[in-house]
Amino acid sequence: MAVDVSMPVLVVDDYNTMIRIIRNLLKQLGFEDVDDASDGSAALAKLREKKYGLVISDWNMEPMTGYELLKEVRSDPGLNKTPFIMVTAESKTENVIAAKKAGVNNYIVKPFNAQTLKTKIEAVFAE
Amino acid sequence: MPLADARHFDRLVDFLKQKRDNVTFNDIISLAEVAAQSLQGFFQAMDAKVYRELREIAGYIESMRHEIGALQVNDLKNTRIPAAGEELGAIVRATEEATHTFMECAEAVMAADASDPAAYKALVDEKMLVIFEACSFQDITGQRIAKVVETLQHIEERVSRFADVMNAKDIDGFLTEQERERAERRQKYLLHGPQLAGGGVDQAKVDEMFP
Repeated sequence: MAVDVSMPVLVVDDYNTMIRIIRNLLKQLGFEDVDDASDGSAALAKLREKKYGLVISDWNMEPMTGYELLKEVRSDPGLNKTPFIMVTAESKTENVIAAKKAGVNNYIVKPFNAQTLKTKIEAVFAE
Repeated sequence: MPLADARHFDRLVDFLKQKRDNVTFNDIISLAEVAAQSLQGFFQAMDAKVYRELREIAGYIESMRHEIGALQVNDLKNTRIPAAGEELGAIVRATEEATHTFMECAEAVMAADASDPAAYKALVDEKMLVIFEACSFQDITGQRIAKVVETLQHIEERVSRFADVMNAKDIDGFLTEQERERAERRQKYLLHGPQLAGGGVDQAKVDEMFP
């Protein structure tokens, strides 16, 4: 895959098993520098401390949702160029449209497979 | 309809005037007797229609008490709902444990050194066996889910019957402030949760939206 796998990736999910799944899939794709956060506010704090090359975030989390995180990232001049992929069980059309309008780079519906994650990451960095 | 006979009120007034400074227990009993006599007129004058209405109300209250009893609220609150909650908790724990086992096996196989084919095969065989064993969670989980579904059906039957008998109508609004806040949060942040088949878009449809 023609993506710089040395870049740090931030995985945001409130479900430890999902973080572990995504970590393992990213490891298979060659990514080694992977951090995680359990909600949008924890992720935002990490994003302001370290420069990440990609954010992979769930939508439904407390207290801050992935949707709010996306809007915060896009409104922050220091973060607004960070590629952002939503990985979520929220599969209503209005969610996909709202995420796209808020500036998400791509959208994966759970449950997903390794190939989908790979294809979406490649698509984001081909933009 | 007169509340009481005027003559009895006069007797009460006279009685109180005479005994103003020196009231005994017997005086109080006498006063109660006079008061009771004065109310006889009220009861005698009571319309038979009112009596019938009161009987109907009493019958309705008795019927409502029966229906509330049929809800078995205490059984639901103290036994069935907590038990269903425990079953759901056990389901979550069992699926988590099984997932943890699967991932541990997969991670061990992925990290294993394949340069020694015999040792590698032995490790893979061992881990596959562990995965087969861990799959048994599904049988137990299925049985637990069946118990929770049974409880939900039990509640649904009773609540539906109660609503029918009481001719209950839904009212708008929320029962608690917390309930209102949760609903507003769901609406504001589009928190719909996982959809059943056909309820949402699949990955292929999403891909069309991100060409």
